[in-house]
Order: sequence, then structure tokens, then C-alpha cells
Amino acid sequence: MLDRVVIAFSWISAVIIVGAVCAIFGHIILNGAGTIKLSLIFGDVAPLDALLLKRQVLNGLFPAVIGTLLLILISVMWAVPLGLGTGIYLAEYAGAISKKIFNLFFDILAGIPSIVIGLFGFALAIFLHKNVSNNIGPCLLISSMALAFLVLPYIIRTTQVALEELPREMRLTALALGATRLQNIRHVLLPRALSGITTGVILAIGRCAEDTAVILLTGVVAMAGIPHSLMGSYEALPFYIYYISSQYTSPEELLTGYGASLILLVLCIGLFSAAFLIQKRLTYITLYRA
Amino acid sequence: MNPVSHENTKIRVTDLSFFYREREVLKKVNVGFAESKITALIGPSGAGKSTFLITLNRLWESIPEARMTGKVEIKFSGMYRDIYEKSFPLPTLRRRVGMVFQTPNPLPMSIYRNVAFPLKLAGEKDRKIISQKVEEALDRAYLWDEVKDRLNEDAINLSGGQQQRLCIARALVMEPEVLLLDEPTSSLDDSAGRVIEDLILSLKEKLTILVVSHYLEQVKRLADKSIRFSEGSVIN
Repeated sequence: MLDRVVIAFSWISAVIIVGAVCAIFGHIILNGAGTIKLSLIFGDVAPLDALLLKRQVLNGLFPAVIGTLLLILISVMWAVPLGLGTGIYLAEYAGAISKKIFNLFFDILAGIPSIVIGLFGFALAIFLHKNVSNNIGPCLLISSMALAFLVLPYIIRTTQVALEELPREMRLTALALGATRLQNIRHVLLPRALSGITTGVILAIGRCAEDTAVILLTGVVAMAGIPHSLMGSYEALPFYIYYISSQYTSPEELLTGYGASLILLVLCIGLFSAAFLIQKRLTYITLYRA
Repeated sequence: MNPVSHENTKIRVTDLSFFYREREVLKKVNVGFAESKITALIGPSGAGKSTFLITLNRLWESIPEARMTGKVEIKFSGMYRDIYEKSFPLPTLRRRVGMVFQTPNPLPMSIYRNVAFPLKLAGEKDRKIISQKVEEALDRAYLWDEVKDRLNEDAINLSGGQQQRLCIARALVMEPEVLLLDEPTSSLDDSAGRVIEDLILSLKEKLTILVVSHYLEQVKRLADKSIRFSEGSVIN
């Protein structure tokens, strides 16, 4: 009897979650699909001119798309090497005590609300503005660093777990053949852990793509155009969605928010696929290339 | 009471004790192994045979919470060297003391790259030398004829016996002087096991071989001498 209840509960849970995901996607697609036109992205500017940065797009999502893409790439660029290094250290080098301390520290880091990290980024920008240079303010650089901080725990944890899960025999194989510790990590352990690590990178990409709280305080603005440098402010899709859904003046305008959501979704799917393909390619290169 | 210390002793083990956590796995083992002979390590499971093997290439040092006392000396180019000496580089030791495990453990890469792997670790770059050594090692391991046309295939596609011979080839490619075999046939069927036995016999001219085995028949066929372990001690 209890068995049946548990099974029924599991089934219902799965159905609820799948249903919720479908409902969200369906809602966005139903409302957003109609707004997806070239003009939503490029406004009155010819797409080619916009892509080649010949003319600025003033009434389209193009700057937000580019802003979000840049933001994700730069944040991940900070976070991946740092997170990988830390994860490798924790899994392969750290002693029992330092491991405990670091694990606690990174669990706390993972639990910090993004708005707090945003506030810290903001404070940092103000500090730099006052003490280093008047030209520094909330900008792409500060945002990407704050976001990297936000997603570091994902990458650290998945790297560490992926390495620690490898069976002991596999750890000893290369060592018994005369590999140094570093060679073992580089040639055997990391390639085997790559798919696990990619999960962390994908989580990080998703988090960077959606987070609004951090960038709200560290440099995103509604109308900035394409950022011309790391020190510039920028636009981003999640901020646009937030902004339009709280400030819309007509139902049509609200619908463009759905359009932006749809574009953000597609963007994420594209980046996830890219991360996945890179992982496949790297695994192949590190393990199979003759 | 070191039983063997003749001129042709290759490995000299003195007062070796081994602990895993608080358990004493090996108790004051004193034993010697003759050069170019096959010595079988026999005894019940859990008597410390496999642990003993990994004290000879220091592989246990990668296992957390393990501890060892005592002395292991191996004669390299006519001179006994304490392999636990600080100045003795681990990679060098493990190239001279090869090891093959109970379950075949080819790395997830091609047959060729598996055998070439130790050379790559040692920094060998010359492709000619590498391919020549790979062929030699595969040949010594009775595998060359079976794989010469499919060297770039994934090693996982080989049969169990072939995989184990591949692992032996991989251990041989650095031309070690000592070969440690931890129940090399126990995961294989009889005929595959027999091929490995023949292969081991063919190697002893140039190699000092230690083989852990549970099968008395196999010990009779292979070993010049056998050493019995019981509860962490060697019984003569």
C-alpha cells in the first residue's frame, strides 16, 4: 500500500514539474513568438549594418543581446579558470582540514543572495571611482567580476565532485606507469571528469544569463547601445525583461518582454550546445587523438 | 632473519610493516626476491599480498590513510638502492618497476596510445622511437599480430584477455627490470589465462617477476619459488 502511495507521489511530482516547464515555455512562446521579427532585434536599422556596427540600434534588442552575450562570456572567462583551479586543488591536493574549511567557505559563498553580491560590486565600483579614477564606475568589467563570483561555487563544486568520483583504479593507472601527480591530472583525471565539469559551466552560463540583481547594481542601463569597452555600461536581456514588465505603457510593449524572454531562452540553448560540443571535442582531443 | 641475500637477489625487503588506518596489514616482513625468476605470492585473501606488491613501487602513497615502516632495496645497475630514499624520483622507480592489475585497466584511448602513454609521460617525443617501442612491447606481450591492423581503435573494444596483454605491453614499454602482477588472470577465462601464463614465462629471462596468484595449478606452472602470506606475515 505504502509502495503505491510513494509511486503515485513520484509520478505526480514528475508530472507537475514537467507540466510546469511546459507551461512556462508555452506561455513564453505563445506570447513572444508573435513579436519575433527582425525589427524587434534591429529596430529600423538594416540587420547587416547593425551586425557590422555601422549604425547604432536605438529601438531594438540588439544591444541587449550583445550585452548579455559579452557579459556571459567575460564572466565565464573569469570563473572557469579560477573555479577549475580551486576544484582541482580541493579534489587532488587539499589536506583533510583545509578541505573542510574551504568546503564550508564555498558552501557559504554559494548561499550568498545575488543582490548582496551586486551590492558588493556596487560598493567596489564606488570605491574605485573615489580612490583610483573618476572614469571607473559601474561597468561591464565590474558586472562580469561580480557574476563570476556568483557562479564560482558551481564550477568549483562540479569540478571537485567530478574528480573525486573517479574510481581509485583509474587514479592509480597512470601513476603506476610513472606519471607525476600533475601528469595524472592533466592526461587522465581531467579528461575523464570533463563531462561533469561541463555541467558546472552550463549552470554558470545559465546563471550569468538570467541574473538581474547583480547587474542591476553594477552597470546595466536601459539605453546604452553596444558597450564600447569593459569600462562602459551596457544593456542586457534579463534587465530589459524586468524593466519592460514593470514600466510598460501598452500591451504591445509588454509582449516585447516575452519576445526578449524567448530570445534569451534561445541564446541559452545555443550556449549550452556550444559548451557541450566543446566538451566532446576536448574529450576527443585529450583522449583519442593519435 | 632475512632469508635471502645472495648475489642474485634483486629485491631486498627488511622489517616492512604496513598500516591502513589503524590496522596492521603487513607485520615485519623480511624477504628477498631472486633476479630473473618468477616468484609467486600465495595465501588467503586479505593476507596482504596485494598490499605487499604496492610497497615495491610506492603506489600505496597515493592511498589516503596508509602508512609504512621498514626498508625496500632494489638492485638497479648492480647497486642496491633504497627506493624510499628522498632522492629517488617516483616516476623513475615506476618505470623500472612495472605493475599490472587484477582487472585490465586500459585507458580510454586507442590501443596505440595506451602503449605509447608511458613514453609520452617520460617525455619521449620522437615518433619513430615511439612507434618502434610500441611495436616491440606489443610483440613481447603476444598481442602485435592481433592488433597491428587496428592500432587506432579504442582499447575498450578488445577482449578481456587482449586488454590484459595490452596492459602488460604498456608496462613493458618502458623496459622495466621488475614486473609486479596482481592476480593477472583472475578476471579471465582459462584459455585467455593460459596465454597470459605463457607470456609471463617468456618474460622471465630479462625480468624479475612477482605474481600474486590464488590458483595452485597456476603457481606450479609459473613459479620458480613461492612465498606464502598469512595474516600479514610471510611463512616459509
